Amino acid sequence: MAPNYGTDEWESEYQAMLARRREKEPPYIYFTPEWTALYEKLIQQDAQYKEAAKDWEGSVVLHVEPAPDYGLDIDLYVFMDLWHGDCRSIRLVPPEAGEAGDFVITGSLERWTQVAKKELDSVKGMMQGKLKLKGDLPTIVRSVRAAQRLVDLSAEVGGIFPTEATEEQREEFKKAMQEVAALY
Amino acid sequence: MGETFTRVGPENLGIFLAPGAEEAGMASMMAEMISTNLQNKPGRVKDYNALRGTIWITATDAEVDITLAFTGGGLIVHGGKVGHPILQISADSATLMDLANITIKYGMPYYFDEVGKQVLNKIKSGEIKIKGMVPHIMELTRLTKIMSVK
Repeated sequence: MAPNYGTDEWESEYQAMLARRREKEPPYIYFTPEWTALYEKLIQQDAQYKEAAKDWEGSVVLHVEPAPDYGLDIDLYVFMDLWHGDCRSIRLVPPEAGEAGDFVITGSLERWTQVAKKELDSVKGMMQGKLKLKGDLPTIVRSVRAAQRLVDLSAEVGGIFPTEATEEQREEFKKAMQEVAALY
Repeated sequence: MGETFTRVGPENLGIFLAPGAEEAGMASMMAEMISTNLQNKPGRVKDYNALRGTIWITATDAEVDITLAFTGGGLIVHGGKVGHPILQISADSATLMDLANITIKYGMPYYFDEVGKQVLNKIKSGEIKIKGMVPHIMELTRLTKIMSVK
């Protein structure tokens, strides 16, 4: 049985999984724990984000809906713990923790891929109903530049898109998602 | 009406989404933003109560348009263009977000800070198009106040 999210045991198991998975060199597949760790580091080092988000308080969660055709059999929650320009951590968390985030942006894997490839602007995506936002809208509108920078950085991490992965990479992605689900 | 129109926010504000409007994400966003703003800033309810007429807003890059039908204390948000709008506003999605970030100072929109100047420049350059602004400047001011998250 998986330890409860938020406990030291959960974090310890997450870190152990991450260490195992990071033995392989990049490029990593988008939304895997090892890709998420690179994303975390990039945000932590980004001066532009720090400035834009200096007043920001609260977590932002990217919710990726299941896409079994691409090897994603679970609801994936990329939980970003953000505070006044700092990115304290990014983890792939269980659904109940993800849904409890302050701001949850939901979209299909194809939509998130478009966002990461800069083919779809996140604000435009929300206006078109392609991405759904849950949370206090005025707060996120007030910090729209910080939110856009977060999305831009996801494109800068680089990596392999699950929608464009080879059969072998897709199997690898599926395996990574099974490891994530084991911590749910 | 309750069966087909979706209420957004508390009953006393009387904000509804027309049937099918939720398909345009912008309609839900606008309804929710106005509702939350009025709850957070009750001083702006008098502007909301005084606002009458329909306003058409288009996000040009997203190819999404909505109509805000204000009835003086009530609002129905429709997808698409409905009726005969007194004001027609078109801009790209990011610029519409700028409009929601205009500072309200001494009860009026303030155009002399960074966001305000950007908005004025975009009106001048045609990136924001506002039809009906001159005869309906009061309605535009009231809309700006209830839309602004600042």
